[in-house]
Formats: sequence, C-alpha cells, structure tokens
Amino acid sequence: MTAVYILIAIVVVLLVVLVWLYNRMVRLRNEVDTGWANIDVQLKRRNDLIPNIVETVKGYAAHERGTFEAVTEARAAVAGAQGPAAAGEADNLLTAALGKLFAVAEAYPDLKASENFLQLQNELSATEDKIAAARRYYNATVLRFNNSIQTFPAVLLAGMLGFTKREFFAAGEGDRALPEVSFQP
Amino acid sequence: MTLQQQIRANRFRTVLVLAAFGLLIIALGGAAYALGGYGLGVLVLIVGAVYGVFAYIQSGAMVAKLTGAHPVTREEWPEVYHLIDTVSIAAGMESAPPLYVVDDPAPNAFAAGRTPAKSYVVVTTGILKAMSKRELEGVLAHEVSHIRNRDVRLMTLAAVLVGVVALVSDLLGRMLYFGGGRRRGNDGGAGWIFLVLAIVTILLAPLAAVMVQMALSRRREYLADASAAEITNDPEGLALALRRLELDDREIQNVTSATAHLYIETPLRNATGPAKLVAGLFNTHPPLAARIGVLEEAGGFRLPDTLPTAGDVEMPTGSEL
Repeated sequence: MTAVYILIAIVVVLLVVLVWLYNRMVRLRNEVDTGWANIDVQLKRRNDLIPNIVETVKGYAAHERGTFEAVTEARAAVAGAQGPAAAGEADNLLTAALGKLFAVAEAYPDLKASENFLQLQNELSATEDKIAAARRYYNATVLRFNNSIQTFPAVLLAGMLGFTKREFFAAGEGDRALPEVSFQP
Repeated sequence: MTLQQQIRANRFRTVLVLAAFGLLIIALGGAAYALGGYGLGVLVLIVGAVYGVFAYIQSGAMVAKLTGAHPVTREEWPEVYHLIDTVSIAAGMESAPPLYVVDDPAPNAFAAGRTPAKSYVVVTTGILKAMSKRELEGVLAHEVSHIRNRDVRLMTLAAVLVGVVALVSDLLGRMLYFGGGRRRGNDGGAGWIFLVLAIVTILLAPLAAVMVQMALSRRREYLADASAAEITNDPEGLALALRRLELDDREIQNVTSATAHLYIETPLRNATGPAKLVAGLFNTHPPLAARIGVLEEAGGFRLPDTLPTAGDVEMPTGSEL
C-alpha cells in the first residue's frame, strides 16, 4: 500500500514539474514573439521613412543614382527578409547604405540646410535608436528562451512539445555583449 | 533572484503592506474608542476603510499631489520623451510611461502608479540640468525597471498609506492633548489603562508606518540598477548618474517620510536632528557608493572621483514648465 502512495506522490510531483516547465517555456516564447513584433514595428516605420528621404536627397543630387539604388534595394531586402537572422543582416546592409546616402548629402550645403531633410534625418535617427532598443530586448528574450529549452530537464521535453531554438536578430557594432549585473551587494 | 521572483515577492509584500495598513487602522480605531468612546472608534474605522479604498484606487494621483509633480507633454520635452521611449522598448514595456516633472533644482527622480499601464516617471528640473543624455538614460531605465519589476505599486501604496497613518496619528495626538481630559465615565484604573494604551498606539503609529516602509526591500534598488544596465547595455552611464547624485548635496524640497523611499537616491540625506536619526535607522536606500560599486564590477570599469559638468539635454525654458 505504501508503495502505491509513493508512486502516486512521484507521479504528482513529476506532473507539477512538467506543468511548471511547460508554462515557463510558453511564457518565454511569448516574450520572444512580442520582442520580434516590436522590432518589426520599428523596421516598418523606418522603411516608411526611407522613400521620403531618398526623394528629398534626389531633389538636390539627382545624379547620385547608384547611392539611391543601393538604399532602395537594401530597403526591399529588409522588407522581404525571412526570419530574424536574415532581417538582421539586411538591416545591417541598409544601415550601411543609408550611411553612404548621408555621406553624399554632406556635399550639398543646400540639402543639409533644408528643414525637411533635417526633420527626416532626426526621425530616422530616432527610429534607429528604437530599432537598437527593440533588438536589445528581443535578443535578451531569445537568450532566455533558448537557455530555457536547452537546459536540463526542459531539454527532454522541449523537442517533444514543439519548442525549437529561436534566431537572434544579428547584433550591430557595440551591441554584442549583454552585461551580467548581479544585484546582490 | 529572477525578475519573476521579484515580481512575486512584490505582490506578497503588497499584501503585507495592505494588511499592515488594516491593522494600523484597527489600532487607531481602538485608540479612538479609548479616547472618545464607541462612536469615535467606529468613525475612525469607517474613515480609515473609506480612505484605504480611495487611496488604493487613487494612489498614483495622490503621490503626484504629495510630491508636487505635474505632467509634461511630448511636445514640451521631445528629447526626454525620446529617451524614455527607447528605454521602454528595450525593457519590453507595452508602452512608454508618461513623464512628470517636479520643479526643484535638486537632481532626483522616481516612478509611481498602481499598475504598469497607469504608472509615470517623475524627474526634477534639476536632474535634467545636471546630467548628460547618457546618464539621464540610465536614470530613466532605472525608473522604468521599477515599473516593470512591479516595485512601483508597492512603493506607491506604501507612500499613500504611510502618509495617512502619520496624519491620523498626529490628529489623534492633538485630540488627546486638547480633549483627553473631558472623557466621561470609566473613571478609575480601567480608564487609565485605556488612556495609556491610546498614548502607546499614537506613539507607535508613526513607527509602524516606517516599518511598513521597511517592507520595501533595499534590494529593489540593486535589482532596478541591474535591470537598467541590461536595458541600456551601459552600466557605466547609470554609474555616472549615481556618482553625480552622490556628489550633489542639494536635497529636494517637497519630501516627507511618506515619500522618501520613492526616489532614486534618498532625499533625506542631509536631514538633521530627529529626522536624521529616523533616516539612519530606517534607511530606505542602500548607499550610492555600494550601488556604484556593483555596477563597476559588472561593467569592468572604474569611475573617476570627480565628474565634469554635463547638461547636454535640451531644456525647455522656464515658462514652459
């Protein structure tokens, strides 16, 4: 009789652990999804800004065709990228292309003085700050989620329950290491 | 301790604060009964209960009133709003909290509100003048962390409930002083016992209030610092901000023991006399040097002892405040 009780107790404990692990993985996966949605919002916002910027620069420097094309292509690549890793790479290329565009703009004092251009530039840099922020959050959630499904004992269940490793959004310069800060004095 | 654990702990502590408030109201009701009879006791209980419910619902607005904070629009402070937007995104918040300002030259900041959606972040005009953008970002990240970690509800409730306990016990004290002699009936030993009990309650009330404040773990500040460093990916920026607060010895004006625990650094550092004694005994904040030390160790840097003047944040002119 005692053996039966012990068996029941073990089963109950196992079930509790199972439920707890499952709920944790679901919660972390939801965080990853939210994090990705945040990045997506900001990437779209930037992609909406770019045509205006290109048009404005064109108005002053119509012959810099190669630069415009590079930006337009990179923009399309970001919009069409499949998955965070690819989107991250496309994003890095777009950032580089935009950098060249603004380098070109440097040579046109009238353009640089244009109120419209300045405003667009400010909006773009604000959006880029937000992309960087959203990326920090997203990558942190991916790290937590991946750790949660790759560590014992969750690793035994994760595959069975359909939890698979998620991709990082490729990190830009100076954004690679997350600091590990302990708050215990 | 993970974020989830901290959130759970905060929920538990919130229940403790509410229970402590309930007990205090009952104790004060008992004291009022002893002083003024049955009617007064019931009155105190009812007023206490009504106030408790009101304060629970309106706690955010009450703290703004208590501290003299008023809201600022995005149009007025686009730059600071941009900082809090990015910090909130990096923290994974659904939306950025609104900014409030306290017109005070002393640099300080805090967050308040009962729910994350209704929380707001308060900065003094002094902190905008004193800090660089990078430092301000660290401070805002610290406050946003308090909101995300659910420290803010606990801190806000502690403020409004502590505030009223101090107020009520003060009121009772005055009634005892002026009206105690006119108590009718119950002469003899029993009456005196009630009177002594009443006095003890009145003396204990503020102390109990401070104990409620103590329910707030000092660890919350370390955790908010750590979260902020992760959010901004820049522990040095926050450490610089804390060093600046450490070096600045101005104190914010509109502070009571009810609201002291809210701020990023203790606003009662320069307290003298009995206030200093209380501030020392019931310190709500770990020392800034210790917090800077933790950040230095985590980030692998060392701050200089003195800092150059900052203040590259665009400040609106006085009339806009």
